[in-house]
Formats: sequence, C-alpha cells, structure tokens
Amino acid sequence: MEEIKTFKDLTREVVEKGICGKCGGCLSFCSAGELNALEMDKNDQPRYINEDKCLKCGICYLICPQTDTLNMELHEKFGWKPPIGDYQRITSAQTTDKEVKKICTDGGVVTSLLLYLLDRNLINGALVSKKTGRFARKAIIARKPEELIEAAGSTFSESLHLEELGGKYTTYTPILSTVKSLEKKYLRDIAVVGTPCQINAIRKMQCLGVLPAHLIKYTIGLFCIENFSFDDIARERLEKKLDVNLEDVVKLNIKDDFIITLTKGVTIHVPLEEVHEVARPACFACHDFSNEYADISVGGLGSPDGYTTTLIRTKVGATVYDEALRKGYIQERTFEDAEESRLEKTKMLAKIVSFSRRKKMRAKERLSELAGGEAIGGKA
Amino acid sequence: MEEKLRAVLVIGGGIAGIQAALDLGDMGIKVHLVEKKPSIGGRMAQLDKTFPTNDCSICILAPKLADCFRHSNITLHTLSEVKEVTGQMGDFSVKLHKYARFVNEEKCVNCGECAAKCPVKVPDEFDMGLRKREVIYPYYLQGVPAVMTIDRENCLYLTRGVCRICEKFCTREAIDFEQKDTDVMLNVGAIIAATGFDPYDPSGIPQYGYKRYRNVILSLECERLMCASGPTGGHLLRPSDNKPAEKIAFVQCVGSRDFKNNRYCSSVCCMHATKEAMLAYEHDHKVKSCIFYMDLRAAGKGFQEYVARGEQEYNISYIRGRVAKITEDHDENPIVWYEETQSSKTNKMTADLAVLATSLMPRKDVKELAKVLGVELDEYNFFKTDPLNPLDTTRPGIFVCGCCREPTDIPESVAQASGAAERAAETVMR
Repeated sequence: MEEIKTFKDLTREVVEKGICGKCGGCLSFCSAGELNALEMDKNDQPRYINEDKCLKCGICYLICPQTDTLNMELHEKFGWKPPIGDYQRITSAQTTDKEVKKICTDGGVVTSLLLYLLDRNLINGALVSKKTGRFARKAIIARKPEELIEAAGSTFSESLHLEELGGKYTTYTPILSTVKSLEKKYLRDIAVVGTPCQINAIRKMQCLGVLPAHLIKYTIGLFCIENFSFDDIARERLEKKLDVNLEDVVKLNIKDDFIITLTKGVTIHVPLEEVHEVARPACFACHDFSNEYADISVGGLGSPDGYTTTLIRTKVGATVYDEALRKGYIQERTFEDAEESRLEKTKMLAKIVSFSRRKKMRAKERLSELAGGEAIGGKA
Repeated sequence: MEEKLRAVLVIGGGIAGIQAALDLGDMGIKVHLVEKKPSIGGRMAQLDKTFPTNDCSICILAPKLADCFRHSNITLHTLSEVKEVTGQMGDFSVKLHKYARFVNEEKCVNCGECAAKCPVKVPDEFDMGLRKREVIYPYYLQGVPAVMTIDRENCLYLTRGVCRICEKFCTREAIDFEQKDTDVMLNVGAIIAATGFDPYDPSGIPQYGYKRYRNVILSLECERLMCASGPTGGHLLRPSDNKPAEKIAFVQCVGSRDFKNNRYCSSVCCMHATKEAMLAYEHDHKVKSCIFYMDLRAAGKGFQEYVARGEQEYNISYIRGRVAKITEDHDENPIVWYEETQSSKTNKMTADLAVLATSLMPRKDVKELAKVLGVELDEYNFFKTDPLNPLDTTRPGIFVCGCCREPTDIPESVAQASGAAERAAETVMR
C-alpha cells in the first residue's frame, strides 16, 4: 500500500503553491469529525492548529478540489463529458416572487428554488452566504423563507452576483466550514449554494460518503470565472486603475465583462483582463467555470437582464427545477417561436462553453507554470 | 466419531433458528448457529411489539439471544454463509465461509468510541434506511454478539487505503484490519434451514407510489418509526415533515393474493396492521386508523378477539375493499382510492400516512442456498414440504421452519422451530 497522503502533502502541493481555493472542505471534514487538527488562518487558508491531533487519515487530501485522486471517479459518477460536463437542459428563467424580484439583481432563480425547497419541506436549511458588513461575508443557514428573503434582500442577491462572477465582494466565504456545526442542530437535509470549488469538494466528500456532506441533498452551483480578494492593497490598486471609489459600488457582476454599478446609477464595463490582478491566485488554477458537478448551475451569462441562465444537470436537479416551475416559483423566458428559442439557447450555451474553455486553458497554463513546465495534479 | 456427529447446523439466526438451536442445545446436542448478518435476532429484533399480546419484541427476544450466546452447546457463527454441503443424513460435511469482522470479538466491549469517530455515513439497513449509520457499527443496539463490525463495502481503509480513524480511538486495540475471511469445515448429522423472509418491494406496484410519495411507507418502516430505539426515538412522525401522523391508512395485501405478484396470502399482515394501528393509538389518542382489507384473516389463537378490541378500543375502522391507487395532495397527504365492497361505490380517503402491508417473500438469495443444500423449493421459492411431513425438506436430514417455509407469525415460527429441532434430534441421536 502506498503511503497515505496527509495534510502535510496538501500544504505542500496546494496551500504553499497558492492554489488553495479556501473552500473550507478540509476544515469542515476535520472539525465535523471532531478531529480538530485544522483551522483557517487569518487569510482563510487552512493550517494545523495542532499537528499532534492530526490522525493522518488522508481524507482532507482526497476531498480537496485541487487534488486529482477522485477526479476520474467524479467524472464517471456524473457522466462528465466535454466541454462543460453533463446537463439535461439549458434555460433562462426568473423568479415570480415580487419581493425576490425587487431585491435580486439577476433572475432570482436561486432564491426561488431554495424557497420552493424550504416550503415543500424538502430541506430544512439552505447554506448561503450573507454580507455582514461592507467588506465581510459570512456563511449562514437559512431555515425559514423569511431568512432566505432577508439574506437575498440585503446581501444574498449581491452574493449571487458576486459569486456568479465567482466573487465575493470582499473575502471569499469559506462556506464549507459552516457545515460542520449543522448536524448538532438536527438538520436533516440541506441545500448548498456554492462556487465550483465548493461544490467539487462536496461531491468528493459524497464520493467517500464522509460527513458533513451526507447532510447535503441539493447543490446549486454558481458560474465562476474567478473570485476577488478585496484586501486594502488590492482595493487601492483597483480604485486607482478604474478611477472609482469602491465605497460607491452597489453591484458587481460578470457577464461578458466585469460590470460595476455605482450609486449614481452609473455602470462601468471593464474587460476581465484588467481586473485579473485582484483575482485570487487560486482561481487561475481552477478548471471549472460552469460548476460541472452541481445539480443545477446558474449565472447571468447569456441571459438578458432580469433572467438567470440555468443549466439543469442531474436528475435531482431536474426534479427540483421542474417542480418549482410547475408550482409557479419560477417562470421561463418566453420566445417568439421554437426557432428563436433554439437560437437563444445555442447562444447561451456557446458563451458558457467559451468561458469554460478560457478557464480550462488558463488553469492548464497556470499549473504547468507552477510545475516549472511539467504538467502536475488537477487534470481537466 | 459418535460424539462428533451429535451436532446440528442451524441456518438463520432469527427467532426460528434461535428457538431450534436452544431446544437442541438443551437436549445436549451441539449446535452451529449460522447467521449472515453481524448479529443474531433477525426480523423479530426489528419489530417494536408483537401481536396478539403487544409484548415488547426485543424484551422477549433478548433473553433468548443471550441464552444462545452463552449456551455451552451452541456455537455462533455470525457474518457467515453456508457454501457447500456434502454427505448425507447423519453425516454432512459443511463448508462455512466466515467473513472478517475486522474487529476482535474478544477485545471489543461495544463502547462505541469508534463509531462516534467514524466519518462515513451510510443508510442503516436495520432501520430500513430511515437513518444513517457509521461504517463501524453495532448491527443494532441489543445485538448479539455485542461487538462492533466494520462494513467492508464502505470502509475507507478497506476500499481506498485511507482513514483508519477508528483504530486510533479504540483504547482496547480491538480493530484488526489484518483479519481475513476464513473457511470452516463442520461435520453435522442434520441441518435446519430457518432463513426467514424479505419484504416485497412495492415499486412493482407503481400505482401505490412507494418511493415517489414520501408519506407512503412499508409496515416494517412503520415498525422502526414506532420503536423507541428507532430513527425517531419511537415517535410516529411522517417522513415528509416530521409531523405526527394522526390519520393512518393501512393498505393490506400489497403483493399478496395478487395474480401479478404473489398469489399466496402472507398470513401475518392483517394482525400486523391491527397491531401497528393499536400502537399508534397508544402513542397518541388522536390517531384514527383505517385498515383496507380484502378478507380479514384472524385465524389464530386470540386473533379474532384482538381485532375486535382494535375496533372497539383503539379507534380502528376496518374497510373492506382493495385499494386501487394512492395519490397525494398539495401537502403530501396520501389519498387512498378504493371501492367499498358493501356498497360497490368508489371512494377516496385522505390520510397523513399510508402504510403498505407488503407480502413476505423468501430471502433474495434462497435459490443459491437451496442449491447448496440440494433441496427443492416450491413455486414461490419457499422450501418445499409435504403435508404430512411439514418440517422435512426434499432431502433427508434437512429440516425447515419459520418464514422460509411459508409466511408464518412468531408463535407459529417458534412452534415449528421446536418441531424441526425435534426432527433433527431424532436424526442425530439415532
């Protein structure tokens, strides 16, 4: 038997190389199992609190989105196929809830799907991220529709946007480390909204059957080109470069480019290349734009304002989407005729494919750079 | 030689096999009791109460489990399967395959530290998948032998070479990943088959919506929900919203007396449903139960009185009519559609929970066992017997009792077990 790869290897192969996505998967596992060997440092990077407590079980290594041991298994389990993974259908949809519509910035599909799941008792909590301050975000569990709408109203809708661009306005929310506390609150089934790396870690955990991912019944994935770390230095640089005051920003979005909406109602479009310098370095080593292993993947890309592009991937995802549609939580964009529908959907898909290719290419280059020219871990 | 052959193999550690083993052991005959699962106890251990006395099932079973474990004439072979039988009546050679438990039975004290730390969660078979368990686990709380077992299918060390967390927390050093499966040869004079039943899978009757509607459950699932050691701690909460079920529809003959499925009567379900309806009422006096039946078969000692008591004291209505289909409303309440045979009118009833009395079928792997034993099965795959030799199989020296012979309730299984034990004793003491 090969030597078990442990957190030490994870530190060397992922954290120290700067490709840790801070998804919190390793920590969530370690704490949920009450092994408590790990913590997040002030930059939300995992590290040992107490190396002696590490049992060298090797599970954190396996579930990391940046390691590839379980990748083939995931591919097979989800019937992955190029270029964007398996999916059943692509649509453009929006919420029917006036309240959600008022506060959401895209179509509000995520909030509405979660409302449907909560209303129908299919979950008893949804793990989402909520803005707690101008530059701070926190993962929360919404257990009641009101909490979800509240989160959507003040912060969650923004978070959707930001996550859709992959971004959290400021620091990335290590959502998974919140899951660890779930079981004690007697949660049975939860839904998680997350970025590709977070969903990837969840799926790897589910491959192994390990806690706390056994509680997660539904995954809604956000399209993600990259995340941004708005620390003080980065903010200053960006403000200077774009000539805006970030205090005035009301909304960030990525569709074809980086879209900044200011308080005065002014919208600035910035080519993505120009904001790369504030993107988290880990994101450059990530292959997944369209959240290839989620039950349903969503984002603004390809849809007109007020609509969410929705990729229905798994059987579970299809059931949820169809039921939410049937019960009137969401409605689909209407087209003149079948021809227009086909054309629009093809366009949406083409955009997603193009972004996916771009991200995969970038990851390939980044990883080969890190390996000094040789290809290493994290196969596409 | 003489000494050696005064031994009997009993296959199946449910109530029938246990009773047969105890009777033989008490006669001074050596018994090898073989059970495929990690612990003996069988289906009876899964029941909350037993009819017609409403005794706590595990309370009357547990002393027998302990007796089996301690009996100087009984050797337990758990996690074991019979793979080969050669020879003849009076002198059978039996090859047993013993699966590794990966836990040292001598050292393990069943403290549960390992399970508390095991990170893998899989559906619990004993609780009918209604709860998740760890991969190192006690088969059930009162199981005998009272030791942990590692589920090899899901253990991360055995499947992927990582983890070993349980090993690090076991202060008794009982975890043993080096354990290997072994083959054991036994020499016995007679064999008793008591392998029990599996419930019919009602997805074969899609109009009842099992698995499609969350509040349509099996009677064995209902049993686990009502059991204090079950997944809800003994509260009959319906799966969709964990709210107490107050109106319950019991749908009888699901897969039984049915030309498309099993033509035979499963014999225990009329009483089983009555019992569950009574228990539900005992838990909560707001409960109203309706039992939809074709014919109410209460042909046992005290059974007719039991049904009468149910009707008079436990708020049970017996409605004669076969259920055509089950649908559900917006709140996931099952709607039972049926024909009232007295008025010949179709009708429907909305309930909080629908419980399907699924038929009792031979174990899924019974054909392989029959082949190994060299015995014939009947048209439904129950062991073939003859009316005047009801406990003899088609091969001399091999006997049968309990639900693998035909659907049988507990008192009847116990009676058959004693009969089969006596038949086996006759053979080996000759």
